[in-house]
Amino acid sequence: MSKKQVSRRQFLNYTLTGVGGFMAAGMLAPMVRFAIDPVLKPSASGEMHPVVEVSKITNTPQRFEWEVKQQDAWYESMVQKSAWVYVDKNDEIVALSPICTHLGCVVDWSSNEQYPDQFYCPCHGGRYTKDGVNVPGTPPTAPLPIYEHKVEEDMLYLGRAHDRGGGV
Amino acid sequence: MQWNKEDISLFMGAKEYIDTLIVPLIPFDPSVEHGLKEQAFQSELLGLFMREIDKEFKGRVLLSPEYYYIEDNREQEIPRINSWCEKFQQQPFEHLFLFTFDVKWKRLDKDLTGELIWLPGRKNGSLQSSETISFVKEQTSQITEMIRSYW
Ligand code: FES
Repeated sequence: MSKKQVSRRQFLNYTLTGVGGFMAAGMLAPMVRFAIDPVLKPSASGEMHPVVEVSKITNTPQRFEWEVKQQDAWYESMVQKSAWVYVDKNDEIVALSPICTHLGCVVDWSSNEQYPDQFYCPCHGGRYTKDGVNVPGTPPTAPLPIYEHKVEEDMLYLGRAHDRGGGV
Repeated sequence: MQWNKEDISLFMGAKEYIDTLIVPLIPFDPSVEHGLKEQAFQSELLGLFMREIDKEFKGRVLLSPEYYYIEDNREQEIPRINSWCEKFQQQPFEHLFLFTFDVKWKRLDKDLTGELIWLPGRKNGSLQSSETISFVKEQTSQITEMIRSYW
């Protein structure tokens, strides 16, 4: 019984097919990407999600939560979002991101007795006035981002949160 | 902050603000078949707790890689757990917590460098069930309260 011999020609053939296949794959990969890319992209940027009935919104900020689907290169997952929502003096709905702009802890409304009319961050004492603007002298250097919102049939919809930059 | 590149870079740039470390202690024993399901479930559940805590306290708490150990010899693990803590202390961290569902650690509490926090777990269930979700939320608010009391 002889072991199968690989002739020089066969060997070359194999290797070349290998290399060729590799190259073909290299060329194909971007094409495949193009074809399936739309699926990989996060859902349309402007998407709005129903969060709470407008009638439940008060002058005092309340925290509401909702879920959005998020997709990166590896996972698709449901991510929980939340916002501090209230009606301001001009009867406008304001929805603020609860994520402290300092290092990302979740801020609370009125949780510090000394500052009952402010958002307070338990991590390093960051503070924000009711409109979400950071109080100078506390660690955060930017205001809380504001969510895009719309109202439809007594339902508040929230979209993306926008940085307001700068701050005090 | 979690043990991933993005959070760790944030940590490196803001070390003076991150003074609290949590090491999850997770038991398992692949030789005992009947316990496996429960152990896997508890490890997932503890992961959920960690994620929730991370959400609230991202800017001040770092989550260490999980510490897995074989269930039958806790004493043997102590020096290793302590050496993890000592290494982390060099960063430095002021508050070191060891989080576990495994109540048997309680007895060895005094030999551990970190502060042992025993959490009441669940034996079984579905992570997606509304029961588990409200359990985790409820517990999380108590744990965060507890952490704040150390700050
Ligand atoms: S994370 Fe809010 S003050 Fe530092």
